[in-house]
Amino acid sequence: MALAIDVVKRSGKRTAERFDRKKLHASIYATCLSVKSPDGHASDMADHVCNIVLSWADNKTEVTSTDIRQQASRALTSVHPDAAYLYKHHKQII
Amino acid sequence: MDTLTALAVIALAAIVHASFQLSVSVVTLLSGHSAGKRDAPGKSLRLVGAFLAGAITTTTLLTFTALYLVHALRTLHSSVTVWAVICAVLVGVGLAIWIFYYRPKQGTRLWIPRAFARFLDMRVRTTTLSAEAFSLGLTTVIAELPFIITPLTAAALAMYALPAPLQLYGALGYIALASLSIVIVVVLIGSGHNLSHIQRWREHNKRFLQFAAGAGLIVLGFFLYVSQVVTPVVVAGGAL
Repeated sequence: MALAIDVVKRSGKRTAERFDRKKLHASIYATCLSVKSPDGHASDMADHVCNIVLSWADNKTEVTSTDIRQQASRALTSVHPDAAYLYKHHKQII
Repeated sequence: MDTLTALAVIALAAIVHASFQLSVSVVTLLSGHSAGKRDAPGKSLRLVGAFLAGAITTTTLLTFTALYLVHALRTLHSSVTVWAVICAVLVGVGLAIWIFYYRPKQGTRLWIPRAFARFLDMRVRTTTLSAEAFSLGLTTVIAELPFIITPLTAAALAMYALPAPLQLYGALGYIALASLSIVIVVVLIGSGHNLSHIQRWREHNKRFLQFAAGAGLIVLGFFLYVSQVVTPVVVAGGAL
């Protein structure tokens, strides 16, 4: 489901795209699976985080991908700290 | 160089080699992406195992190539100048490790150019076959050559000083010790340890690993300088 919120990419080089709940859900879900969460639990966590991020973005027309990542990792920290750690630091492993 | 000293030099050089982290970072990512894609545990382990095989294969090839080159250029071994250059490079690389092996800020971001890091990340995401994981293992060891080459050269020169039958064992011992860190991480992943715990441990201890690797090379450089450069010169001077 693409909402009417534009997401500006981190580097600023790529064009903005519409906020896609499915994309956010998939990334949170994959992160939870990578820390060995069961399938259903991972899906619940992803739904929970998506809802929080959507309510944060509700009154905005444009957000950055970094903002989304920060909000998502904050929401994930309270329910799944291990997954939140990997989600937050994924781009800082190499 | 006597046998015991040569073995000690090989062991120290191999431990420094083992502390380099690119392969460990990539295998951590590979395992995370594989689990995130809901790959069966068997497939995930196969990928990680293939990566490990690739990394060990490159380490083996590099070690025997270095030993072969030392044999081919055997006059180098007795050259004080060559030893002096190697000692200087060991100290220089040790200092370089202290200064920029890890990038500042959080995480375990390494010295490699960001474009290359992004490329590796992208390759890891798209890896689905054991052959790809194997070649990724080969590539990551080669990518760390700027740091690996110095301890490897010192170890190869020390191997050459061993009696012939021991040289093979010296090389195999170097390969085993140098691959130890990635083997440990692969065993931890295979035995079901949480990736985030492994990554947290790496992040918390990165400064220690950085200090130990740099210090190891500097100590090795000074030791070899005294034993292979200063001592022969002093002995030769005393004989005159």
